[in-house]
Amino acid sequence: MPEKINDLTIFSLSEVTRSIQNTLSERYPTAFLVKAEMNKLNYYPQSGHCYPDLVEKADNKIIAEIRSTIWKDDYQRINDNFLKVLHEPLTNGINILFSAKISFHPVYGLSLRILDIDPSFSLGELEKEKQETIRKIKAEGIYQSNKALKLALLPKRIAIISALTSKGYSDFLNVIEGNTWGYHFFHMLFPAHLQGENAVESIITQLMRIRNVQHHFDAVAIIRGGGGDVGLTCYNNYVLSKEIALFPIPVLTGIGHSTNETVTEMVAYKNAITPTELADWLIQQFHNFAVPVQKAQESIIEKCSLLIRDDKLRVLNTVRFFRSVTLSRLIKNKNGIENQLRSLLQQSAYFIQRKREREINQGIFLLENGFKRLLLSWRQHIESTKTDIFHKTMNFINDKNKTLDHIEKNIDLMNPVNVLNRGYSITMMNGRVLKTVEDATEGDLLKTILPDGNIISITSSIIKTELS
Amino acid sequence: MTKHPNYTEAFEELQQIVSEIEGGDISVDQLSDKVKRAALLIKICKDKLSATEGDVNQILKELESSELKNEQ
Repeated sequence: MPEKINDLTIFSLSEVTRSIQNTLSERYPTAFLVKAEMNKLNYYPQSGHCYPDLVEKADNKIIAEIRSTIWKDDYQRINDNFLKVLHEPLTNGINILFSAKISFHPVYGLSLRILDIDPSFSLGELEKEKQETIRKIKAEGIYQSNKALKLALLPKRIAIISALTSKGYSDFLNVIEGNTWGYHFFHMLFPAHLQGENAVESIITQLMRIRNVQHHFDAVAIIRGGGGDVGLTCYNNYVLSKEIALFPIPVLTGIGHSTNETVTEMVAYKNAITPTELADWLIQQFHNFAVPVQKAQESIIEKCSLLIRDDKLRVLNTVRFFRSVTLSRLIKNKNGIENQLRSLLQQSAYFIQRKREREINQGIFLLENGFKRLLLSWRQHIESTKTDIFHKTMNFINDKNKTLDHIEKNIDLMNPVNVLNRGYSITMMNGRVLKTVEDATEGDLLKTILPDGNIISITSSIIKTELS
Repeated sequence: MTKHPNYTEAFEELQQIVSEIEGGDISVDQLSDKVKRAALLIKICKDKLSATEGDVNQILKELESSELKNEQ
């Protein structure tokens, strides 16, 4: 009861709070539906109760704020529903539609007691948020940006965004490290939270770090596993999705879930449902390279041996053909030559025979003619010689006759008688004709013969004729 | 035709040689050169598959220096 002092009524604090409590419970007897953003869940694991901060924003400014409570049992039921419908636990920063009662506690004051939260409303809100992210990314024209990058033919160097303890990470490593084809990958872990409220910031931080060393990597792999379908909302975040779309090297995702694709996965270069599948895909890239190389090797060996065999065969056939052609040509020519030889022999034999006959005939003819002519010429010669001899003999005889006549005349002239008749005389001494005065000496007896007798004389003197 | 192509160029050139050989456009005279070239390309490709690449220490060093820069 309030005290009365000097006509003044004074309430104790508990009377006031009780009055407020009564007024409020009278004014708000039943639960009602409220739409608000749950800024913070403020879950206390020890008690199991939650004390969410509820706000309403307009133009990013808080225009209403109130504390609320979810008691342990309500929270467990609500959280189960969320996990069932949203695949997300009740968490910070989502819009909720809830039924609540106004509660006023004398010590803790005014708050809303949340009795139930409609998960399908939040699902719709999340879906709206996801669609909004997609719309914005598409509007900026970057939806295909990461997909349009050129992945290395062999994506060997992988920057992995994952958690060291994640099952997905170890699954991924098991496949790429344990491959039996000898494919060698280089990978480096950039640890991050992969779900929950810190995931977006944590993943973006690691993406920034990778950007600084991007030339060391062919691709980024975001790997999450073992988390089931829970906690994927962060992958619809606009900032994260944009960062991935605009990332300078291909981003590969293997975040392990079976529900609808998140925006992050949509804009990534390649999305695999699980880390294992992503690792298999990488191995497949290596196969896509290795198999054609192996096939090329086999094909080249096979084709080359075929080509060489064909060529050898062609050469062999040509040689064979050449041999047969030349052989037949040789035989033909040989036969021709033999025939010609035979015919030449025959012809020459015939020719020689004919020639010989002709020559003999001609010889005979010539001989006959020659002889005849010779005989004739001889005869003529003989005749002419005969005539010649006759003439010459006649001439000779005539000549000789003339000479004889002449000689006769000379002889007449020479006759000493004739000479003596002409006045000459012959002087002889001692029986010999005296031819020079040298032989005579004075006193010698000389006989001078004259035509009609001799004179005997004695030499009185000798006068020698002077030769002029 | 570069002397030492990288593996991507090697892969493409190899495909080209295979199609040339399979197409029968190659005479036996050219064959020897082409096969020698193909052997080199195959080696480049196969080596790449099993090559060890990447240096964690180097990457860490670069990360540190870039993070230092950001803090300044």
